[in-house]
Amino acid sequence: MPSVDVMNAIAFNGVTKKYGDVVAVDGLTLDIPVGSTVALLGPNGAGKSTSINMLLGLLRPTTGDIKVFGNGPDEAVTRGDIGAMLQEGSLIPELTVRESVDFIRRLYPDPLPLDEVLRMADLTDLAGRRADKLSGGQTQRVRFALAIAGGPKLLLLDEPTAAMDVESRRSFWDNMRAYAAQGRTIVFATHYLEEADENSDRVVVIARGQVVADGTAAEIKSGVAGHAVSFRLGSQPAAGLDALPGVSAVEIQADRVTVRTNDPDATVEALYRKTTLDVRDLQIHGADLEDAFLALTKES
Amino acid sequence: MPHYLKIELLRMFRNKRYVIFVVVFPVVFYLLYSNLWGSEVDQATGVKASVILMVSMAAYGALAASIMSSAVPWAQERQSGWLRQLQITPLPGWAIITTKLIASMLLVLPSLLLVGLAAVLTQHVSLPVGEWFGLIGSLWIGTIPFVALGLTIGSLLPPDTAQPVAMIGMFGLALLGGLWFPVDIMPSAMKSIAHVLPSYDYASIGWNIVAGDAPETSAVLGIAGWAVALGALAVLAYRRATIRA
Repeated sequence: MPSVDVMNAIAFNGVTKKYGDVVAVDGLTLDIPVGSTVALLGPNGAGKSTSINMLLGLLRPTTGDIKVFGNGPDEAVTRGDIGAMLQEGSLIPELTVRESVDFIRRLYPDPLPLDEVLRMADLTDLAGRRADKLSGGQTQRVRFALAIAGGPKLLLLDEPTAAMDVESRRSFWDNMRAYAAQGRTIVFATHYLEEADENSDRVVVIARGQVVADGTAAEIKSGVAGHAVSFRLGSQPAAGLDALPGVSAVEIQADRVTVRTNDPDATVEALYRKTTLDVRDLQIHGADLEDAFLALTKES
Repeated sequence: MPHYLKIELLRMFRNKRYVIFVVVFPVVFYLLYSNLWGSEVDQATGVKASVILMVSMAAYGALAASIMSSAVPWAQERQSGWLRQLQITPLPGWAIITTKLIASMLLVLPSLLLVGLAAVLTQHVSLPVGEWFGLIGSLWIGTIPFVALGLTIGSLLPPDTAQPVAMIGMFGLALLGGLWFPVDIMPSAMKSIAHVLPSYDYASIGWNIVAGDAPETSAVLGIAGWAVALGALAVLAYRRATIRA
């Protein structure tokens, strides 16, 4: 009898990971069907990397159970079902791009052709270059090539664009989508909201080791009613802003403060009448994914 | 796995530190020393210094190669994330350390063979065929404890520390083991240290062979004991380095 897991590329079932007293992943239950592209969106320390490392068998859950195509992570890795681009990683400096990619792809039972891997990672022109002569962005492309070289059914990307400039990011996501288009399952972790919005068909928001929202980017936006009021604070104290009516969060960036509120009218009225602040350059924004994200991941 | 081995060898041949310390140094020092003292004859055995120096420098080169090609590259791979890259492929964990061991042992051969070749070409050293095989074979197999030591260092220490520790270990073993100066001219305290070191047992097997003698049992047992002890340590350290928490 086929089990439900067979339909899922990934199944987390009540997974918890503790490091001493610190709970990195807290009772995570999540199914990811075959063929989907899912963004794990969350702030640093939310448990994204821990979850990805557990999927790869590099970390063991403290409790709970993880299945990858119906098998345990170790078996999935041994079968060559998973490819991954982890957060940190450098290459063997003395080897060329072609040598490194070909070495990794030959470890898999059913790899992609070498030239195709190089093409999909925009590395054809760099194939003969040694790893110690590559720029940071080029190294990231090689690491992407290593992740797809074995033709894995599941591709895991942990903040893959962290070291890339804007142009590299764009082509990186194009390449990822080309790989996804072959019916493969992709899970990527990011704390960039636009990346999650533009490149996935499902966003799973993770905070404090738990799933706090799960759906399309549009669904997540609509699930959080909220506005942002921002103005120039200068050197004035921000104390007391969080006590204004409707306010759920206060953030300060440089000399500008942003106040999250579900009642911008009341907040702005109180701001002028009940504080002595010199309010300059006031702006009010509607909810966007960033607001939703911040509202969802706010420390409680 | 053959491809993995090929990759490991390829990268070391492109590594300047390996080539200079391991391939060039022993040959250059052999040429230098044998030109200075090569024609002297050891009173006890009647063996010419050009032959004894050949054994010493080949042993030094092999010792250096086995530690240099294992400790630091392995420490770097652990820290740089390359180990993780391998751990998430179908390559089994035992294949990594086994390949490292085999690669390091193959990387010992260039210095062994080049020093031997330099001795034959410049000092006209000639040995019976059986002695050549015995010498090269024992100096080759005898590097197992040193590769194990290198892998242990690489498994336990980060690259910044592994580098000096490997260098000190390599030169310490070479000097105290009598590869640079004969143990007989050392002060007695150093002499007793030398006699318990694997590098002394290792080289003395070679010196015995070129003197036409059978290797001493104590030396063979000594090197075998070190191989077992350091091998076990290397496996434990490797497990610790690759543990999945």
